[in-house]
Amino acid sequence: MQPRLLSWLGIALTLLVAPAWAKSSTGDKVLIVTDAKLEMSDYSQFWDGLRSRGYELTFRKTSEDEPATSAFDVPSFSHIILLAPSAKTYPQDLSPQSLVHLLSDRTQPTNILFVLQPSTPSVPLRDLAREFGISFPPPATPLIDYFSAVSPANATSLLLSPPLSQHTAGFESGKILYHGISHLRSSNPLLVNFLNAPPTSYAADPLEPADAVVEAAASGGEGLWAGGRMGLVTGFEVLLGGGRAMWVGSLDLFADAATSIDGEATANNAYALALAAWTFQETSVLRIDAVEHRRISESAPREQYRIKDEIIYRIHVSKFDPTTGEWVPTSEIEDMQLEFTMLDPHIRTALKPASEEGWYEAQFMAPDRHGVFKFIVDWRRKGYTALHSSTTVSVVPFRHNEYPRFLSSAWPYYLGALSTSAAFVLFCALWLLGGDEEAKKKKTQ
Amino acid sequence: MTVLKLPTFSPSTLTNAASLLRILALAAIAGAAISSRLFAVVNFESIIHEFDPWFNYRATRVLASQGFTEFWNWFDPTAWYPLGRVVGGTIYPGLMATSGVIYNILHALHLPVDIRNVCVLLAPGFSGLTAWATYMLTKELKDESAGLLAAIFIGIAPGYISRSVAGSYDNEAIAIFLLMITFYIWIRALKDGSVLYGTLAAVFYYYMVAAWGGYAFITNMIPLHAFVLLLMGRFSHRLYSAYSAWYAVGTLASMQVPFVGFQPVQTSEHMAALGVFGLLQLIAFVEIVRSYVASKQFQVMLRWFLVASGIAGGLAIVGLTITKTIAPWTGRFYSLWDTGYAKKYIPIIASVSEHQPTAWPAFFMDLHMLIFLFPAGVILCFKELREEHVFVIIYAVMASYFAGVMVRLMLTLTPVVCMAAAIALSSLLDTYLSVEEPARPDSNGVDETSAPGADVPAEVTVSKKKKKDVAAAAAAAAAHSAATTATKAKTKPSATYGIFGLDTRLVVIVNAIFMLVMFVLHCTWVTSSAYSSPSVVLASRRPDGSQNIIDDFREAYYWLRQNTPQDAVVMSWWDYGYQIAGMADRPTLVDNNTWNNTHIATVGKAMSSSEEVSYPILRKHDVDYILIIFGGLIGYSGDDINKFLWMVRIAQGVWPDEIKEPNYFTPRGEYKVDDQASEAMKNSLMYKMSYYRFNELFSGSPAFDRVRNQQLPREGPKLDYIEEAFTSENWIVRIYEVKKEDPLGRDLKTANAFDGGKKRKPSKPTSRRRALTA
Repeated sequence: MQPRLLSWLGIALTLLVAPAWAKSSTGDKVLIVTDAKLEMSDYSQFWDGLRSRGYELTFRKTSEDEPATSAFDVPSFSHIILLAPSAKTYPQDLSPQSLVHLLSDRTQPTNILFVLQPSTPSVPLRDLAREFGISFPPPATPLIDYFSAVSPANATSLLLSPPLSQHTAGFESGKILYHGISHLRSSNPLLVNFLNAPPTSYAADPLEPADAVVEAAASGGEGLWAGGRMGLVTGFEVLLGGGRAMWVGSLDLFADAATSIDGEATANNAYALALAAWTFQETSVLRIDAVEHRRISESAPREQYRIKDEIIYRIHVSKFDPTTGEWVPTSEIEDMQLEFTMLDPHIRTALKPASEEGWYEAQFMAPDRHGVFKFIVDWRRKGYTALHSSTTVSVVPFRHNEYPRFLSSAWPYYLGALSTSAAFVLFCALWLLGGDEEAKKKKTQ
Repeated sequence: MTVLKLPTFSPSTLTNAASLLRILALAAIAGAAISSRLFAVVNFESIIHEFDPWFNYRATRVLASQGFTEFWNWFDPTAWYPLGRVVGGTIYPGLMATSGVIYNILHALHLPVDIRNVCVLLAPGFSGLTAWATYMLTKELKDESAGLLAAIFIGIAPGYISRSVAGSYDNEAIAIFLLMITFYIWIRALKDGSVLYGTLAAVFYYYMVAAWGGYAFITNMIPLHAFVLLLMGRFSHRLYSAYSAWYAVGTLASMQVPFVGFQPVQTSEHMAALGVFGLLQLIAFVEIVRSYVASKQFQVMLRWFLVASGIAGGLAIVGLTITKTIAPWTGRFYSLWDTGYAKKYIPIIASVSEHQPTAWPAFFMDLHMLIFLFPAGVILCFKELREEHVFVIIYAVMASYFAGVMVRLMLTLTPVVCMAAAIALSSLLDTYLSVEEPARPDSNGVDETSAPGADVPAEVTVSKKKKKDVAAAAAAAAAHSAATTATKAKTKPSATYGIFGLDTRLVVIVNAIFMLVMFVLHCTWVTSSAYSSPSVVLASRRPDGSQNIIDDFREAYYWLRQNTPQDAVVMSWWDYGYQIAGMADRPTLVDNNTWNNTHIATVGKAMSSSEEVSYPILRKHDVDYILIIFGGLIGYSGDDINKFLWMVRIAQGVWPDEIKEPNYFTPRGEYKVDDQASEAMKNSLMYKMSYYRFNELFSGSPAFDRVRNQQLPREGPKLDYIEEAFTSENWIVRIYEVKKEDPLGRDLKTANAFDGGKKRKPSKPTSRRRALTA
């Protein structure tokens, strides 16, 4: 009876868990680093949201050394949340360099969610943000907007409605309460815009009159930190197999206190969880499972093709489904391209979804040029995992016995050879016949 | 009258003994030729030398393991990455095929010889055959004794040994044998007027075409010989049949080599042979007509016809050249006539040391006393001036010129020098070893009166005369051979000139022997000290005299082989391409088969530009590692900094706007690597890679480059886009790894500064004041 009971229990548990949000595609251990000042219970709704999706949370203060982010160069956590740490210096394993190292580890990247202090990010974070192409306004200048403020008296608490996007799945609609700073994004193509500042907003000291800001900007000092191009929430997709980072300018976005305002519920918690889901590689995560190439007439791949071969190239792409925690073949990419490259692309063609789910294929004729070619798929779209695949094959010229044997243009030469041969035979015959007569003549003489 | 009484033997004994001695002597010569080439194996090990042999060796291994058809169709994706190389169609396969055949025969005989040893010992083996071929050719010119001398000369002359020591597995290893055997058979064909020999010459010519690009020398020598004979009025049906057979069969056969293809009918280098072929047909036609027609006017008309058709033919060739139907002369051809041409227009050819003009001491170094005997031999050829002598004279003139233009062509000069010197020395020995004494002139001093006196010994008896022949023959056989001396003695029993007495003979002969001994000593010394270095392994002497082996090249190549992925692309200057492919088995960008100037210039540009400019080039070509040669620590002068100007020049040829040679010199026009080095020099990737961390070796005191004899700047160069991966024991080989793109999308300089703890400047939003105020 015992094992049977256990198995029933198992089934019941899976049924319970399955419908809920599942884990991230990279792992479920989260390290939350924060300051002693912050009370973790103020953000309990966010933590509960994460826990319900299967994450194991570990809390650590910036003053502590344990638990370390990596042991023997192997990352210990899959994700890190830096929750507005204001310390001037961080322990060695949280230094900007080690954080970048963790993010860009190719085999086991760590995703990092940076949540910034309301008005003045700490110096290490400011420095680190620059490496991502994110710059912050001068200290103590929170974002101000009188048009979307909760109340005119409190122009730094804004009610914003983030755009809907498939990268923030789970956040359907609603307004969020934003209280924090804005930042400037560089032209780095790896940055993903999640939320922009309202066009009427600007960053300034709320105690100063607004005119002073314009004057300061006009005189060329700090620049004008205003307008809709300023970022509030920005994601970062690390190149080729790295992790994801997210910069959020408002600590209040995650706070329990912000889930309702004047008794009216805000979408803060849903949005915060959606941002975390993207950062922790739950949503918009794609991967290449398999790559195939072959001659159209064959079934096995080759290491080398001949010029002018008809080649089929197929690639299988899966998308991570966070609800089930499984990789599901996806055919939803419509703009993937294949390049057949030697130094420069010789062929660039569309990879069309094939009949089977998840497969994309392209068929083309190898160029009339021998050399070492690469099938390159390099698909980069904002918010999605970059897909990159490079397969090297060589394209060889015809073999000695693959050339056409008889050419119509060579008929003059064939005729020449034949006629010379015939003439030679004729000559020999005449010579032999004639020789006999001479001998006879001699004999007779 | 004789100086010495010699023991007498029957003529058959003498001829038998002489031929036995000849065979023994030839065998001994072959032994000497082979063993003197083994210094490299004895001093170092059985290893493939230098650069090109490494490719030949690699190709031979493919041939031996995969068979000939696979070899023929071999596409090598690791060479000239990413262009690849169609090896079958871009090489002369004769060398590899020869080794492959030998290898297969040995294995069929159950002799499990390693293919490497076949390759290493191929050149010495063929040098024995070269000695034999030279013997045969010289025999046609003079006699067996001269032939044997020529054989021993070619056997140990350093000019030929330099290209054929054990391990020097290059095309020249078999090509010189083929050159000599083709010439020999050509001479035989010409002497006999034999179509069979003409065809045989064509077969060997085909082998030569398949083996060495220098076949063009034969392609032009034989027509030139025929043409000169025509000009001398020596047209004969022998010449006609020999040449026609050789040209027709040889040209068709040579077109079967994929690398040569249609060149024999399309390029200027081969047009002389075609022209002479046409001229011979015309002359033969005229001769036939003349033999049937008596009229003098008709003959005059024929002559005009001949001249007109000759001119028309010449004009046709010129016209075809102008219309580009016939490929015009290549740069390599022009560089043979104008030694400054290559430096101006094709730096890639000029950058090779063996393409430089020959220095005068090299002639003595490579040929020793033969270079003095050589003119004498040529003059002796003028004295007889049979068809084969004309050939040797032309050969001597052409080869002397080419050897003066290019160090490398010393190789083609050596055989003719050996032959001519052998003729000269053998004539000397014939004269001084002959026991005959001339008749003493009478006191009257009149020739007529001396004649009876000379007749006296011949008169004595018939038996005595025979005895004398025999004696002379024996004397000659002691040194060389019998037959010709004997016939000479027969035909000139009453020589009016000659040598009197034993003493004069002894003085000259001892002198000659002394010279020969010095020659042997010189050859041995040059061979062991100068030409037997594998250049893959370097040897130096420690202060106490013991040998110190510097094995950095192999150390580095094996590091690459063991520590990098199989498909890691290695960039180096083209000199080391074949070695990397052969020893490290990694793809290379450029190698010693310098067929693509642009690709080489690309590497040159990457080496001579700054890191920021080079990095995109490196990434575009998928370069993972960069390998450079640096001799500054131990004073190895053949390093990349010394070759650097050639990289700059070749890159400048393709990108004259970006790379400029003067930028790499100091304002005073000096080539410096120290504090005064120009900015372009200091920023170039090559400079940075060479001297990266070099300062640290000198612990505080300024670093010193022992090749350039210059002190380096106190602060060494810094690298952002590449990082040091390996440096060999004596720092000769340094390998750098090219960094991948920064994961955060920064440029690597910024990323490196960040890793070093430097902070980036904050950026500000650009002021849009106007939009705001509006």
